[in-house]
Amino acid sequence: MTTSPLVSIRGLEKRFDLSGSLLEQITFSGGRFHRKQEAVHAINGVDLDVQKGEALCVVGESGCGKSTLARTVMGLISPSVGEIHYQDHRIDNLERKESLPYRRKMQMVFQNPYASLNPRMTIQQTLEEPIRFHHPDWPAIEVRNKIHEVMESVGIDRDWGSRFGHEFSGGQRQRIAIARALSVDPEFIVADEPISALDVSIQAQVLNLLMDAQESRGLTYLFITHDLAVVEHFGTRVAVMYLGRVCELADTKTLFSTPRHPYTQALLSAIPKLEDDRPNHIRLKGEVPTPVNLPSGCVFHGRCPHANDRCRRQIPELIVTDGGNQVACHAVEEGRL
Amino acid sequence: MALLEVKNLDVRFAVRGGDLTALRGISFNLDKGERLGLVGESGAGKSVAAFSILNLVAQPGYIAGGQILFKGKDLAAMSERELRKIRGNQIAMIFQDPMMTLNPVLTIGTQMVEAILAHRKISKKEARDIALDRLQKVQIPSPEKRLDQYPHELSGGMRQRVIIAIALLLEPELIVADEPTTALDVTIQAEIMDLLLNLCEQENVALMLITHDLGVVSQVTRRMLVMYSGRIIEQGPTRDIINNAQHPYTRGLISALPQMGSPGARLFQIPGSMPSLKNVPAGCPFHPRCEFATEQCRGAMPEYVHSGNVDVACFEVAHRIEQETRMQEAES
Repeated sequence: MTTSPLVSIRGLEKRFDLSGSLLEQITFSGGRFHRKQEAVHAINGVDLDVQKGEALCVVGESGCGKSTLARTVMGLISPSVGEIHYQDHRIDNLERKESLPYRRKMQMVFQNPYASLNPRMTIQQTLEEPIRFHHPDWPAIEVRNKIHEVMESVGIDRDWGSRFGHEFSGGQRQRIAIARALSVDPEFIVADEPISALDVSIQAQVLNLLMDAQESRGLTYLFITHDLAVVEHFGTRVAVMYLGRVCELADTKTLFSTPRHPYTQALLSAIPKLEDDRPNHIRLKGEVPTPVNLPSGCVFHGRCPHANDRCRRQIPELIVTDGGNQVACHAVEEGRL
Repeated sequence: MALLEVKNLDVRFAVRGGDLTALRGISFNLDKGERLGLVGESGAGKSVAAFSILNLVAQPGYIAGGQILFKGKDLAAMSERELRKIRGNQIAMIFQDPMMTLNPVLTIGTQMVEAILAHRKISKKEARDIALDRLQKVQIPSPEKRLDQYPHELSGGMRQRVIIAIALLLEPELIVADEPTTALDVTIQAEIMDLLLNLCEQENVALMLITHDLGVVSQVTRRMLVMYSGRIIEQGPTRDIINNAQHPYTRGLISALPQMGSPGARLFQIPGSMPSLKNVPAGCPFHPRCEFATEQCRGAMPEYVHSGNVDVACFEVAHRIEQETRMQEAES
């Protein structure tokens, strides 16, 4: 890759502390004081580059850290270790004022449009708020023109402006949420499961809308989802996450035609397909371990049919395979798989 | 005789300003050991249909007409007392959210034993043995230990396994499963569906599976119903409908799936959304979103026509079939 990435995530780790204050951590047993600290290891060393103009999809099951990743990139939570760069400027440690220009360029669309729209604001107010915040010097007429422009581009009626969020269906609300994100002309949009709360026919409408916006506005997406079928359609590249680590990263086409990591293979086989007569998925042992006590070595070893001694000891790093996939798996590296 | 025969079922909700019709003239059969899928988007009435089969529609909803014949007896006309003997016993139900179904303050064992003792006159020890046997059947690791655990100690997938074990407790003949895997991750969903399918086959239990996921329906069921705005608009063998849907709505729903489109291309989309019960359009409820809608569709509700093995409620399909038969007649 010759051009520098738009957004770069470097060595990211995020822990959420569970043990509370110092007094709560201390226990007395066997005549001695012990201090016990516990944390949820949501992200454990993720390096990702988002190239300009692409849609990078992050896929994984609940608890894999994909939403934490989205929120850390947006600066809604700060990383425990690691850095976030936007066009080669570090943005995760900025003062509030310094971060404002980046906040305009980076916008977010959330999963649940019932929760992400303020119920006491009209649609007009909802759409106006970010514009007035980021462009306080704009005259009213310019603000109104901008709102009309975004409303039109997401296919909502101008008359909706005076109505409230609760008057609309889920799909319509998600359009409004997308319009709000577009209203400040962002370059980069983080979409955290934007269609998983919607019905099938509405999902198609919203996906088409996101693709149209990408084309007409030259947007870059970081698209978080658990639905691999959507990814195949929408993504330029796909990163598969498991327990806070990226286990495979590849072009969408490559990933779907030749998945290499055993977890990716299991995940792909679990999608119910229309041509199936029975469930035919790769069976995994057990369940996802808790992110509080991470397994040693490869986080997937406990459920992996190909795990050996090395997998239990050593954490695999992403390596590039012949097919172009980046895979973090000892079995692939050793040619066992 | 079919195990379950639903005839012309109407369910309404009595609200201020008049009744809202949630189900309109629902009719279908389910044979012993058969697996039937019920598909539709939110607001189509699929959950109301599931609840009304057990006569569980809560106030202000009520069954306004029609029959629900289970082994020849009409559940719609039964007293609460008689119904209680059938619910959980001969017909079991699995709901979407396992955390809402299980009582958080009772152990798994207590809840299972309670359900058995409500229907069988046996000792607690015997009931516990039955519970243990069912937990083994759903392949829960260390089932002995689970009996004394509380629901919150189990993961989502494990809880849904417990729910399936509870559904199987009294050897039911029909299981109604309302979106049993929607709250779960894909890999867990695949395991739970596989388990449910195998158990239904082994024990020869009939399954009515309510879901919005067409992929799951094609994997698990042999026959399916498609609902739209409180009405069954298409029903027949699952393969036939998935491979060659007749109704414009079903066709649209299948083509809107990302797995049907070519990667990167625009997805097929059905304009608009499902009408709310308060303002269901006159005529065919799908006409405002349908590309084939004519005056006739706006004026009258289409009757069912046979197209191969499939029953469809659509004027467009009816015309096409008419034309085809006329062509064939002309040829011969």
